[in-house]
Amino acid sequence: MCALGVPVAVPDEDADLVRSAIAGDDEAFAGLVRLHKGAVLRSASRFARNPAELEDLGQETFLRAYRDLRSFRGDAPFGHWLSRITVRVCYDALRKRRREEKDVSLEVLAAPVADPSTENGPSAQHARLILDRAMARLKPEDRLVITLYELEDRSVREVAELTGWSETRVKVRAFRARQALKRYLGGDDGR
Amino acid sequence: MEDKRHKRRDGELDRLLAQARQAPPDISEVERNFETRVMARIREEREQQDPWYAWAWRLAPIFLVLTLLLGGWSVLFPPVHPDDPVATLASGTQEVALLDYLTGE
Repeated sequence: MCALGVPVAVPDEDADLVRSAIAGDDEAFAGLVRLHKGAVLRSASRFARNPAELEDLGQETFLRAYRDLRSFRGDAPFGHWLSRITVRVCYDALRKRRREEKDVSLEVLAAPVADPSTENGPSAQHARLILDRAMARLKPEDRLVITLYELEDRSVREVAELTGWSETRVKVRAFRARQALKRYLGGDDGR
Repeated sequence: MEDKRHKRRDGELDRLLAQARQAPPDISEVERNFETRVMARIREEREQQDPWYAWAWRLAPIFLVLTLLLGGWSVLFPPVHPDDPVATLASGTQEVALLDYLTGE
């Protein structure tokens, strides 16, 4: 595993496939998709609301990679380059759906979270559901940061690299996102 | 009091995040044959990006029919190439005679 959590065990293989794909070998690009689809889809799944949306995000990521393949300089592993594209695609999707998710109500979901008497807390799936609903209220950049930093457990430096933002901006965003999430989960949504 | 509530919410959020981390979304369904679908979309996009190329292929049958029609036409109605040089001269003489008549000479 590399610093950004992307499998790059065989970078030479990636480089060969990239060269062949640029030369017009479709099978080579299919090989790249096969090697990296797991990492891309895992990362995108944190932003997708359903399998259809995950499919779209994954396809869009590889389509952009295919279009920009000539701009891949090879000074960083292909997986890193692809991770940045994935983050960009997911961020764009978050911004696009911002308007439609703005009015999601958390009233029903706030109760189990706010209940301290729950012995083991909500199940993992339920926790995800509650978080998803609360995170739908966040600004796209806040949601992006909290997902990468808290859910994918990446460091501030990694998040900064992936988003192209400064580390200070990442820290500020992460802090604000946490504050907003706590507000939403506590029931006072600040409206 | 406010501080206590704040800390409790921090704990709740941390617990939720930890549980969500432990339950990564299932991607197995989407992962299956994913590369096939991506390549199909790339091919589709490539076709859309090359309308001239695509149109050339679509117009190929029309060009073929046109070529056959022109070929048939040229076989059925060959151009006149008179073999008799006297006839050629005569047709030239007729034009001169007509010109003389019109100019009154």
